[in-house]
Amino acid sequence: MSTRSTDPPPIRSRIDRALIRGAAGATAVLLLTSCATLSSGNGERDNVPEDVSTDITDEPVELTLAYTDDPPSTELVEGFTEQHPNVSIELQQTPFTDYVKTVTLSMSSDEAPDIAQYNPGAMRSLIPSGHVMDLEPYVEAYGWEESFPEATLEPLRADEDATRFGTGSLYAVPGALSVLGVFYNRELLARAGVEEPPATFEEFEDALAAVDEEGIAPFSVGGLEVGGFQVWNTLLNAFGDHEAYRDWVHGAPGSTIETDEAMTATGILTRWVEAGYIPESANATSDDDAKAAFGNGESAFLMIGNWAAFEMEEALGEDVGFFLLPGEDPDQVPMTSGSSVSYTVSSGTEHPDVAAAFLDYLSSPEAARIQLDTGFMPVDTDASTGEGGVLEEINSVYGTAAEQDGIVPFPDFATPGMIDQLTPGVQGLIAGSTDEETFLSDLQAEWDRVHG
Amino acid sequence: MASGALLRGNATAGTRRPRRSRLRAWLYLLPALVVYAGFAIYSAAGTVWFSFLDWDGVAPPTWAGLANYTRVLTEPLLAGAILNGLVLIVFFSLIPIAVGLLLTGLLLGRVRTGMTFFRTVFFLPQVLPLVAVGITWRWLYSDDGMINRALETVGLGAITHAWLGDYHFALIALGLIGTWCMSGLCMVLFMSGAQRIDPSLHEAAAIDGAGPLRRFRYVTLPGLRREVGIAAVITTIAALASFDLVFVTTNGGPAGQTNVPALLVYRLAFNEGTIGGASALAVVLTLIVIVLVSAIRLLTREAK
Repeated sequence: MSTRSTDPPPIRSRIDRALIRGAAGATAVLLLTSCATLSSGNGERDNVPEDVSTDITDEPVELTLAYTDDPPSTELVEGFTEQHPNVSIELQQTPFTDYVKTVTLSMSSDEAPDIAQYNPGAMRSLIPSGHVMDLEPYVEAYGWEESFPEATLEPLRADEDATRFGTGSLYAVPGALSVLGVFYNRELLARAGVEEPPATFEEFEDALAAVDEEGIAPFSVGGLEVGGFQVWNTLLNAFGDHEAYRDWVHGAPGSTIETDEAMTATGILTRWVEAGYIPESANATSDDDAKAAFGNGESAFLMIGNWAAFEMEEALGEDVGFFLLPGEDPDQVPMTSGSSVSYTVSSGTEHPDVAAAFLDYLSSPEAARIQLDTGFMPVDTDASTGEGGVLEEINSVYGTAAEQDGIVPFPDFATPGMIDQLTPGVQGLIAGSTDEETFLSDLQAEWDRVHG
Repeated sequence: MASGALLRGNATAGTRRPRRSRLRAWLYLLPALVVYAGFAIYSAAGTVWFSFLDWDGVAPPTWAGLANYTRVLTEPLLAGAILNGLVLIVFFSLIPIAVGLLLTGLLLGRVRTGMTFFRTVFFLPQVLPLVAVGITWRWLYSDDGMINRALETVGLGAITHAWLGDYHFALIALGLIGTWCMSGLCMVLFMSGAQRIDPSLHEAAAIDGAGPLRRFRYVTLPGLRREVGIAAVITTIAALASFDLVFVTTNGGPAGQTNVPALLVYRLAFNEGTIGGASALAVVLTLIVIVLVSAIRLLTREAK
């Protein structure tokens, strides 16, 4: 009989297991943290290379590259080793959620990878401890200031303490670019009588009202994850004081986000919430759910980056378009947040010239082809997909913005913990539990904690 | 009870053993002991040590004294997360125990066939990975999810919500997922305990004129004391240490309404690189777990 099968020993072992879980389980996360030892951070290291050369050896060379984003890392490495058959590059991938921790530990170890994908959070410890190579000698040798757009290099510069970014020596170069903007559904807009993408912010708001009138949801917003603050980010780009904003993200002393411009941008977000353009259910919507809803034609606009372009083109084909949110003035320089998949070199590498040759390769036309094919903006902004469609459209608006110095960093780069203020903060605005002042002062409090 | 006797037997036999064979016993224990000491005790001690440091994980750490603990206890965000963990105990522990007892009372002695079926069905949530459970419930709770559809069908369209996105309901909605997971576990524990109760007690009570309710209250319930204790311990730990469920459903949102301590430990350590603060919060969490579990064990201890 089944009733007799449940005798005491199994229960007992359940208790034991439960108690072991009690002792160890609550601290499970800590087991991971304590893997780190206190022995790292062994003082200063010379991280400026000497005798740099743009010629690389013909001898066989083996390098390792640590990264998280794929594409484009594998494809770019393959492209480079095709050009230099004597070089082989071993790839070490770590999932994004663990990448900061892993790259920090491996780059500070004695067997550091020669090249690593750049991560601003990790740099805050790796630059001051001298584990990342100062690339200035190569900037001069290769003329990188010419071959890479300045807007893409700027965020990769830092001072020696890595407390302030956007200034000082260069520590990485971009291997593929991303940009934030507004995807729109042509067919839904046409149904609401909107034929052209808006040229001013006023026209954009008219389009929202027209779409709403027609019973179509204006936005899909993934407020559960980063989708919420990307809306705020987009508004801030259209309304913000860009110099002040750049300084703030880069940690320039005395910077603040509590500006009139940021208040205006935040105020528009709450107005859209009140108007019902952004529903409260956004807070329970993941980024993937938001993309799926827009891709199914359930909403007119989606504020997200070019990384969604492939998916959107697949889902909506000709109906999907892309623009940068315009400001109030039609002649205003289009502004957008951009970032890059970038690569740094370990100061402990035995082959600095080869590593630098890989970085140089990233700005080449061959690399641009790969960057485009993998769904990114190419570093060489003159490159074109030649295939039309939304990818071409994104590439062209990005190029226009980049030429006019219209690329600013993402706000979550301001401090390692900023994303944990931005996501709940915007959720508060959507739920109506936070007002604009509190939202901005919370962001500033996090900034002050790190940079103050 | 059988296992208790077994343990006592071992203990008395142990005192009579010669020294050499006790050494041999330690030798057998050694592999497990090394693993446990290396991966649990050493790590836990390391955590306590880190909690007194100001450390980003790479640069040399500096001594922080009690600053990390002050932050845990005074920062509203961290203190709020601990409070949310305590609220979750209601949903992960109290309600599942009540539901488990109710189901036991209903099934006991009445259902002759299909007992295995009921047990399997109610226990199923325990077998599923919490991440899968979380994602499934996120869909069920969503704006056009099954729960809202069901509400509309019965004419309650006015109260539909994206439940996990609602500022006031999110924590409750999250807690109810825990209730769903834990109730079956409690029931299975109670069923096995109740089936061990001597049937003659029930018969005697019935002869004295006790109805089913009274028999449950005066025979079944006292007999389940130990199982209730076990269930309370397991579910309380699950409530306070919950991470995976929260991580995949709300990630602390909306606006921090469902932050729980383990989630913030993770963020502090891995997003912000403040190992000291994360460790201090983890130590506080562990202490709360120990205090609550000890209290439960004290309350449910059988009179000697």
